[in-house]
Amino acid sequence: METLLSTTISGLLMGMLFALVALGLAIIFGVMDIVNFAHGEFLMVGMYAAFLTATGLSMEPLLTLPVSAVICFILGMGSYYLLVRYLLKGPMLAQLLGTFGLMIFIRYLAMAIFGPDYKTLEQGLLIRPSINWGPVMISYPKLGAAVISVTAFGAVYWLINRTRLGMALKATALDVEAAGYMGINTEKMRGLAWGLGGATVGIAGALLTNFYYVFPTVGLLFVMIAFATVALGGFGSIKGAFIAGLIIGLIWDFGGTYVGPEYKFALIYLTYFLVIILRPQGLFGW
Amino acid sequence: MPMHALKDALSFGDLPASERIGFAIFIAFCLVFPWISKGSFAQAVMIQFLIFCLYGLGWNLIGGYGGQVALGQAKNVGMSAYTVALFMVWWDVPFWFSTPIGVIIATVESFILGYFLLRLKGHYFAIATICVSLVWQQLFVNWDLIGGARGVELPLKETPNFVYMQFTSPIYYHYFAFVLVMGAILFMNWFRKSRLGYQLRAISANEEVAESLGINIHWVKVKAYCITGVFAGMGGAFYAVYYNYIDPFSVMHLELSIMIALMTMIGGAGSMWGPIIGAMILIPMDRYLGAWLGGSGIVGVDFMIYAFMVMVIAAYEPRGIWGIIEKARRRR
Repeated sequence: METLLSTTISGLLMGMLFALVALGLAIIFGVMDIVNFAHGEFLMVGMYAAFLTATGLSMEPLLTLPVSAVICFILGMGSYYLLVRYLLKGPMLAQLLGTFGLMIFIRYLAMAIFGPDYKTLEQGLLIRPSINWGPVMISYPKLGAAVISVTAFGAVYWLINRTRLGMALKATALDVEAAGYMGINTEKMRGLAWGLGGATVGIAGALLTNFYYVFPTVGLLFVMIAFATVALGGFGSIKGAFIAGLIIGLIWDFGGTYVGPEYKFALIYLTYFLVIILRPQGLFGW
Repeated sequence: MPMHALKDALSFGDLPASERIGFAIFIAFCLVFPWISKGSFAQAVMIQFLIFCLYGLGWNLIGGYGGQVALGQAKNVGMSAYTVALFMVWWDVPFWFSTPIGVIIATVESFILGYFLLRLKGHYFAIATICVSLVWQQLFVNWDLIGGARGVELPLKETPNFVYMQFTSPIYYHYFAFVLVMGAILFMNWFRKSRLGYQLRAISANEEVAESLGINIHWVKVKAYCITGVFAGMGGAFYAVYYNYIDPFSVMHLELSIMIALMTMIGGAGSMWGPIIGAMILIPMDRYLGAWLGGSGIVGVDFMIYAFMVMVIAAYEPRGIWGIIEKARRRR
């Protein structure tokens, strides 16, 4: 019973972070129908940015959130203006392999610069033993990360649904040409979507640094989870990404506890398959 | 019908003279290479080039002509390589018997997987193939019965042996790989003029229109995917006897699948010579760069260069180097 409760809580907390990782992918796909394979690499860049600022300036890791967000915002926007803009003119194959190339490029660049070693943060506000609440254990860093992750999620949700900027983004997503006639600078909106996608995943990366190893190939791990999350939630649906994140988090932790840690990923992949075969539009997609 | 197909495969008459001359130079170069090159490193690079030509020609079917981004070639290569290696370790089965079995296993796996996955479109399919590759990779790394992460070493016979494809000189391997590549090129030459080739290109151009023309798009894609599996299986079987050692990182790894796709894309996906051009550029670059940078401990520079080339090509000329050549030719 205690294990069940602990696992549920841990899964939900992890799920909130997965949701934030997947959010950027959902925004980008929602606005322009392109899958960013380099998304996991953006996360990795966010993690390194947080890790290096925190250790280099011996700063509180939580304060590095804006640093990661800004760096990944620039990375996302740069990717759009330098690469993705041109990819959109080409066939599907070029679009897929283009962002795929970006992923490989960033990953091996990181490998060349930082080396393949695993790194962890040693101290910080969140890095402390778990809370023991009766027999139930709650991981402190995960709890903190989940709270911030939900806040960031809420901010993005508000930005997209309640502001003029968000309306312009949504208009671009629905019909680029019509949005252009309404005086919206669609090119800027698309660049912004990439920047926003990068910034959210950068924040997720900075949070993840508090309790996960930092290494150059970490992206692949999380991008696969993000793909499963976004597929489950429905490509382009922000609400869907959140709920799907929670579900994936539960699968992750229950799989790890009851099936075996080495099958965690296989279960996530299985989820992806089941979703795309049984309900290709996801839970909230259209 | 078979005679007709053979004629199609052997006739290069519809190609412009420049391509025929280029092809003749390629054949001549491959034939004389072992005699003009004395270095064993250069010969090893050449054989590697031929293996990757085979992979690339296969991938070009589904990825280039069919436009379906499949990123799981390595598992077919691996299955066939493991079959050949393990059959020899366990039961001493010669190469010539185990290879057909390995290729059949690789093809059947392609068929089953393709049957289910090829209903998916675009990125859904690409992601699904990555998922499957990762599952297989994980399985092969952890499965002790087949060597796990340590891999499998093929037992050496005392004397060079044709039945087990064990030779002392790389020349034999070179010619064998060359025969495989020539077979693959002839097959592709038939394929591009065949009904299947036209159907696949129609699907790649526009699925809805292709379907409305009465093409069974799912079935055509599955067929192409299986042929891709056959090519990868042949390459894998050859790989096992050539290196006499395989492990999940050399034949089962996602990186191999990625490299095959990137290479074909750079050379020119969906064109006859694209994969060969891609392999011709990337494989020597990869090996010599690796030998040169290996000492300094910098890993992955080769991958960075491919990735950069792929980005540039995807953004400016999605038909790859071959597309650039064709454009230049048309302008003249």
